[in-house]
Amino acid sequence: MLDIREGVSSFSILVKLHFLPNSKRDRWLNVLLDQSEVYFPQILESQVHWQRLQAGGLREGDGGPEWGLEHIRASEPIKSFFFSPRERVASFPEKLEPGETGRRILFGVKNCDLLPLKVHEQMFLQGDFKDTFYEARLRNTLFIAADCPEPADTCFCNLVGRRPFAEAEADIVLTVLEDGYLLEPLSDEGEESVRTGGDAIQPATEFQAAKRAEKRRAADSKLAKINPKPWADGLAQRIWDRSGEDGFWGKHAASCVECFGCLMTCPTCYCFLLYDKARAEGMDRSKVWDACYMAAYARVGGGANPRSEFLKRFVNRFQCKFTHFKNAHGFYACSGCGRCYRACMGKIDIRDVLGEV
Amino acid sequence: MANPYQPIEAQILKTIDETPTIRTFVLKPEQDVPFLAGQFVELTVPGHGEAPFTPSSSHFERETIEVTIMKVGRATTALFGLKAGDSVGIRGPYGQRYPLESFEGKDIYLVGGGVGLAPLRSLFLSLVHEIDKYRRVFLRYGARTPEEIVYKYLIPQWEKLKKVDIDLSVDVGDKSWVRKVGVVTCLMDDIPCDETSSIAVVCGPPVMMKFVTFKLVDAGFKPENIYLSMETNMSCGLGQCGHCRLGPYFTCKDGPVLTWEQIKDIPEPFV
Repeated sequence: MLDIREGVSSFSILVKLHFLPNSKRDRWLNVLLDQSEVYFPQILESQVHWQRLQAGGLREGDGGPEWGLEHIRASEPIKSFFFSPRERVASFPEKLEPGETGRRILFGVKNCDLLPLKVHEQMFLQGDFKDTFYEARLRNTLFIAADCPEPADTCFCNLVGRRPFAEAEADIVLTVLEDGYLLEPLSDEGEESVRTGGDAIQPATEFQAAKRAEKRRAADSKLAKINPKPWADGLAQRIWDRSGEDGFWGKHAASCVECFGCLMTCPTCYCFLLYDKARAEGMDRSKVWDACYMAAYARVGGGANPRSEFLKRFVNRFQCKFTHFKNAHGFYACSGCGRCYRACMGKIDIRDVLGEV
Repeated sequence: MANPYQPIEAQILKTIDETPTIRTFVLKPEQDVPFLAGQFVELTVPGHGEAPFTPSSSHFERETIEVTIMKVGRATTALFGLKAGDSVGIRGPYGQRYPLESFEGKDIYLVGGGVGLAPLRSLFLSLVHEIDKYRRVFLRYGARTPEEIVYKYLIPQWEKLKKVDIDLSVDVGDKSWVRKVGVVTCLMDDIPCDETSSIAVVCGPPVMMKFVTFKLVDAGFKPENIYLSMETNMSCGLGQCGHCRLGPYFTCKDGPVLTWEQIKDIPEPFV
């Protein structure tokens, strides 16, 4: 019996696993392109960026796009697909309603980028009022996750309780093998999408399933080597208890230049500002990304500001993600993607702060 | 599903100058905005922005909504430029209402400062509308000067209502002022209700809220019976945008009124 995944027999896994040979990849992609806009991770100057797949641009190498399915997550968080940096959401006196949303496929999402969807689900869809713009786009998107076999030094999804491959939360999870792709549908929509591949997609073999298990074990081990020490127990409470210790927070915040890169690249950050712009008659209202590090973020109409000093805003970010969100929803509003550290000009590593709290 | 960011139109029927910087706007929304005392609405001054306000009228009044506003920022300054017949946008209601059912049979002790009497007026009118449900209603109100008292023309009528007890103070009096002089806490040296079971509701500038709360706690009011209108930067009103976070709460969703029990462990809740 193969040790493919704890608690699941090799037989039940094999029933669900499919194999798409390299030679037939484009056939399936063409089917997907007929139904949807497809976005994929493209390597551009050694960075991965989301790009829209064009029907004529499938060929790799020699002028074709270089796919980054085995790289770490794209530079851009996927929240931009559902919650854009600036979007018109209302007008006056005439009323605006969300328009039609086309169907989209995100082909090659990393597991760290699936967690933010859970955060945004809580913020935008689970309260008394739903963000109808966000919901329409989310419900019209198919998520094809891709395993992350080469975690980078900046990655720490293992510290927030996640692994470098998806086991849920996507419609299909894909593993790149030498001669093709292993596909595991995780939802009915995912099953349906795999079926559209017709005979291009075949049942997987035990050997292929074992290869996936081996690659995943290796990725887990790499992450464990990068981040060997878990955060202390009771992290949420420890942050809250130490929130007044200016010396501790000040030491970590010292090199911050307040560029807000960490928050603007953060996939879980959900803050926004409603911003009205005058027209000849009436107004247009935009919803724009905002960041709690900005000085005016919490300032009230009369000018008072509970977080006028930067250090308070620095601590607030940690409280928001690791104390309040965890206490309210049971998980951290952090996916361990490492974008904040990559973006930071002051080289502030969130792991150093949380490891020391 | 409706667009939560889209305001509907409300016509300004009338404006009432309360003080040189505070004005009441009587609004008629194109559809009912069914708020309950404690909840708030978002008003849009077209082209100048949006801001949250708690209505000052009774929630039993459905035809119109009154909002009493102080000119302090960009949106309120623009609002003061509008007149009867002009339109504003309105969204809501948002936030939590007062749990009036748990106030029944008890003394209600309202403490207001400055324009903070506006939201308390909504609660006060809702209480006196069904005054038989409550034991007594006390209102303690302080303003900086006699000129800066809001609802000057209404307070004499309120004082005549049964089971209602009102006392006023100003920081600086004038020749005609015959009541107390001092900050509003000077009206609280002798609290004429049972502190262990009574309900206190406070709204005013942060520094006033802070000292009134301490005075109520010292007097024996239970932290869960002290209701405070918290002032934070509310942007969306929906519990989504993050701006109004106060410790574990979003004041727009969990408030805007929170009890002292809820916020007493948050560092510096009054700013």
